Amino acid sequence: MNAPVLQACAVHKHYRLGKREIPVLRGIDLSVAAGETVALLGASGAGKSTLLHVLGLLDPPSSGEVRYDGRRVDALPIGERALLRHRHVGFVFQFYHLIPELTALQNVLLARMMDCSLFAYWRRRREVRAAATAMLEQVGLGERLHHRPAELSGGERQRVAIARALLADPKVVLADEPTGNLDSTTADGVVDLMFTIQRQRGLAFLLVTHDEELAARCHRIVRMKDGQVVSG
Amino acid sequence: MSALPNTPREARTTSALLAQRAYGPFLALRYLLTRPINLLGMGGITISVWALVVVVSLFSGFLAVVEKHVHAATADVVVGDLPPWARWSELRAAIADDANVAGQTPRLVHYGLLLRPGHRPPPAPLPGRGALHGGDQPFLIVQGIDPATEATVTGFSSWLVNPEIPVPMRATAPVLAPQNGLPTVLVGLQRMRREGLAVGDRVVLTTAHLQDDGQGRLTPAKLQIELVVGGAFQTAHGGFDGNTAFVAIDTLRKHLFPSEPDAVQEIAVRVHDESSLVPTAERLQRAVTRAVERDQRGYGRVETWREKNGLFLASVAHQRGLMQIVLIVIMVVAAFLMLATLSMMVTEKVSDIGILTALGGTPRGVAAVFLSCGTVVTLCGIAFGTGLGVVTAIWLEEVRQALRWLTGIDLFPVEVYNLDRVPCAIDPWWLLQVAGMALAIGLVVSTVPAWRAARHDPLVSLRGA
Repeated sequence: MNAPVLQACAVHKHYRLGKREIPVLRGIDLSVAAGETVALLGASGAGKSTLLHVLGLLDPPSSGEVRYDGRRVDALPIGERALLRHRHVGFVFQFYHLIPELTALQNVLLARMMDCSLFAYWRRRREVRAAATAMLEQVGLGERLHHRPAELSGGERQRVAIARALLADPKVVLADEPTGNLDSTTADGVVDLMFTIQRQRGLAFLLVTHDEELAARCHRIVRMKDGQVVSG
Repeated sequence: MSALPNTPREARTTSALLAQRAYGPFLALRYLLTRPINLLGMGGITISVWALVVVVSLFSGFLAVVEKHVHAATADVVVGDLPPWARWSELRAAIADDANVAGQTPRLVHYGLLLRPGHRPPPAPLPGRGALHGGDQPFLIVQGIDPATEATVTGFSSWLVNPEIPVPMRATAPVLAPQNGLPTVLVGLQRMRREGLAVGDRVVLTTAHLQDDGQGRLTPAKLQIELVVGGAFQTAHGGFDGNTAFVAIDTLRKHLFPSEPDAVQEIAVRVHDESSLVPTAERLQRAVTRAVERDQRGYGRVETWREKNGLFLASVAHQRGLMQIVLIVIMVVAAFLMLATLSMMVTEKVSDIGILTALGGTPRGVAAVFLSCGTVVTLCGIAFGTGLGVVTAIWLEEVRQALRWLTGIDLFPVEVYNLDRVPCAIDPWWLLQVAGMALAIGLVVSTVPAWRAARHDPLVSLRGA
């Protein structure tokens, strides 16, 4: 088995509501190896999305550790966590989360602007643009580079989001119900695309989903209930 | 290649750099270009900067012109507040010792009503009139001068041949010489016109003076001097012209100090080098004090032309200062317009905050996006406002005439101020100050929505969608 690129070790997460503490994650242990695809299944409120946010360093755990490549990262300063989020992890969301003012190409390019100064980006703009164009072509949007999200279908928007997540060359893609907002035909196309790219690049995928069929295509299924891993 | 920063130093560097990433200005520009409402904030800054540049340039120009006019009607240095025992011959020698003194002339300075025989004084003037134009108050400062030496110290000769004075109203040589046995008086052109005076008209100067009653007490006594109008004079300073009349110094001496042929009340001095006016005045002060000193009372006051007209000049400068304050307040109000549009934008773009965070943005980076928006809006406002302001200030007279032609409204009636065009002085230092102020206000105002954006929880927008 490959070395783990992403690990959760005894992760607890609770939110405070007034004087009450609401536990959302209760001692999660999870490991995702390089090139592995893991489906995270569970009912609404099981804590899947929260776990994804904790693993993606968007939300710190209340206790426990998050490790990237075996190194603890959840306690790093905010700037370093942001940098790691950019370099190590790619996010794909159910609602695409594209910036409406930008074209498909600009949305993808944005991923490269996150770790470049303005001058460095300007110097490398041709190279970066070529990479983003190639990425969009790979997801089948070579003809839609200059279309804004409002001019794209749901499936196309999700493809743009996938291209954006992959442009920074992450080791892990965290996908939060990537097909949850798509019709079944479009969803199949997007899922096929994701798995193709995953195989080509040897990426690790952690997919949050309700879809058993989609989960079945993954190497491993982890089931969650009430903030705990119940199987997998 | 490891994605993790390896050393604390590397981590710190990358963290610091992250706040200045390319996405900040890129997104800021996109947000601004897709939201024309931001033009409101930009317009507010533009208008306030424009107003500050134009109005202050106008006031500065006006102040410069007023200073020029006031200086033209005043000697470089004036020695006044002289005691009764001051003697012209002694003081002349003391003052002439200074190397920077180019000329000097004695004066007697009195006051009175100048009326045609049988005429009553006109009604009291309206409040607020007189400082700039004068001439509509009945009281006059009567200066007893020596025309020959006065011409070496001030522009006296040119005041008599001002092109605006019609030839029949001009003084004939020798200036201030008696006519038909009566002493002559020179009156300001506007006053002559208003009172219908002509050269050769008889007038009476009604005043008072202090008389010794024989027991060592000074009591006021009425004094009337019959005079003939010898001609008109016109300086650039309407306030001076309207309130001043000239008679020969001997005429005043005869009536005020009949037994003191060397009496002097004021000495006007011209200097060689005007750049050292203040040190010269200080030296003259010491010389005058030495010459007239008695009982340690400190007689004799030496003032530069600027000090002598200090209150008047300060009042114009004060008006400029007040306008600056009012316009800066308007700039702050305009900045609030920008605050409103930027705040609205932050509210609209909360979903983007989640995206940026997920892509690797930090709160500082998110703040930088909105701070960049405010900075771009402010800089554009400053650039447009300054450019328009400078162009308007340069063409201010043409703008005034165009406005008058279009609307019939004269925003700056030059005749009132005795000017031939709207004055204007563009001060580059003031432009820099305006730009600096606008930038500071713009940045402070932009910080508020930027801070709000930075504090927004990205998970709320990522969960919400």
